[in-house]
Amino acid sequence: MQPLLKPFAMLGQGGVPFAAGIGRWGQLTADTVRAVRHVDVWLRLLLPQMARVGVDSVPIALFIALFTGIVLALQASYTFTGAIPLYFVGVLVGKTMMLELGPVLTGLALSGRVGANIAAEIGTMRVTEQIDALETLAYPPVAYLVVPRALAGIIMFPVVTALAIGMGIVAGWITAIQLLDMSSADFFNGLTLFFLPFDVTYAMIKATSFGFIVTSIGCFFGFHTKGGAEGVGDATTRAVVASSMAILVLNAFWAIVLL
Amino acid sequence: MGIIVRDLHKAFGPKVVLDGFSVEARDGETLVVLGGSGSGKSVMLKHLVGLLIPDAGEVEVDGQVVSTLKQEELFELRRKVGYVFQFAALFDSMTLAENVAMGLRRKSDLDEEGIADRVDECLRLVDLEGYGDRAPAELSGGQRKRAGIARAIATRPQYLLYDEPTTGLDPVTRAMIDQLILRMSEELGVTGIVITHDMDSAFRVADRFAMLHNGRCRFHGSPDEIRASEDPVVRGFIEGRPELLEMES
Ligand SMILES: Nc1ncnc2c1ncn2[C@@H]1O[C@H](COP(=O)(O)OP(=O)(O)OP(=O)(O)O)[C@@H](O)[C@H]1O
Ligand SMILES: [Mg+2]
Repeated sequence: MQPLLKPFAMLGQGGVPFAAGIGRWGQLTADTVRAVRHVDVWLRLLLPQMARVGVDSVPIALFIALFTGIVLALQASYTFTGAIPLYFVGVLVGKTMMLELGPVLTGLALSGRVGANIAAEIGTMRVTEQIDALETLAYPPVAYLVVPRALAGIIMFPVVTALAIGMGIVAGWITAIQLLDMSSADFFNGLTLFFLPFDVTYAMIKATSFGFIVTSIGCFFGFHTKGGAEGVGDATTRAVVASSMAILVLNAFWAIVLL
Repeated sequence: MGIIVRDLHKAFGPKVVLDGFSVEARDGETLVVLGGSGSGKSVMLKHLVGLLIPDAGEVEVDGQVVSTLKQEELFELRRKVGYVFQFAALFDSMTLAENVAMGLRRKSDLDEEGIADRVDECLRLVDLEGYGDRAPAELSGGQRKRAGIARAIATRPQYLLYDEPTTGLDPVTRAMIDQLILRMSEELGVTGIVITHDMDSAFRVADRFAMLHNGRCRFHGSPDEIRASEDPVVRGFIEGRPELLEMES
């Protein structure tokens, strides 16, 4: 098999073939939308989930953005050698963080953190019959487990992404004035030169969709976990691979549709 | 209205587990279901609350055919049924008290104070007084099992399904759980199904017996009838004599 296709094949192994898997994920998504009406079931779970998705992910997202911002500024000035005015460093750092790296790197980092966490937790509940127990206690499991996590993703991914974008820009700015002989005025001049309010909308649309995709895929693989500890490990890996790929596909989709 | 299982079929892939199983627990009655390990008792019980869907046949609980219910109707039915899982299935992210309160939050109209009182009462009934703040991971297997029973009885359901409620308990605790099952049936008029391997506790709680063997109901009758049964499979099982079962096959 071609190495490039391996991740796709991996998704198909053991129980959930790729196309059928997408169908069943769509089914779960539809069930999730329908389950939103059970407000009494999920409402008190939303805040704790937002705290988990949001607060727990802020350090890793900021860490990634910090170093990305530094590298972006340095690479921009390296590329522009003389031919292009240096304030374009500000343009590049701002646009790239906002349109691409802020949302995508944050999304990928959180698919590892949040997606894996959700898949492992729900997968364990599945194999220890805790999801069955929820049902016998008359809780709709999708409303209890999926809705608060998906909503937390939708709400918190944009927040974390916005913080990451801010951190990347600040890191780029400090790099520019410390290492590149640029003035703050130059940098901010560049930053605002081609800025459009739509950039923010675009970044937030991406972050929102990534928030949903990562949490819902984590829930999906958790729900379909089979077997014991090995099954849970399997579900976790699959959730991370699938949601990372989904982020990249979705990222291209938004670029095609919105730009 | 009781519980009626009619000609239930269930297979997992090529493995046929239930092959036309039928049984009935009449209103207010406690039915004990016997059967070898792996014979499909837990699978059968899961059909009664719609956790599994039959391949063929049907289950009627409280006058309703479970597999035909819409989601909302199924949840209504589940409000009347308590389920004791074989391996307790406690929520491991919650304390015992929260576990027991879960059903009450959803199935009853009690306020927080009422819920706290009921939780204490139920933990006391299974001899876990003072354990409310513990996490399931801090308990022994038997304690977890009893907490599972407390969670199932907390809502005072009309129907109780016990999957091996006394397995792994010491003789004293076992007798106590048997007492509890009897009390549920006598004082609250609960219709119960008890899966057990423990013949002493089976004879203590049973109004009637059924035996699941090779996916079908091998025996259905009163405690006196099962004592008098000449069927080698039944005799072999209740007397613990594998040679009788081997003769059969
Ligand atoms: N979800 C499932 N997928 C595949 N096979 C299953 C599943 N659930 C149960 N089985 C199979 O069905 C058979 C009956 O299982 P079940 O748990 O009902 O046995 P049991 O009578 O409760 O046994 P025990 O007394 O040991 O608890 C077993 O062979 C088991 O492997
Ligand atoms: Mg069993």
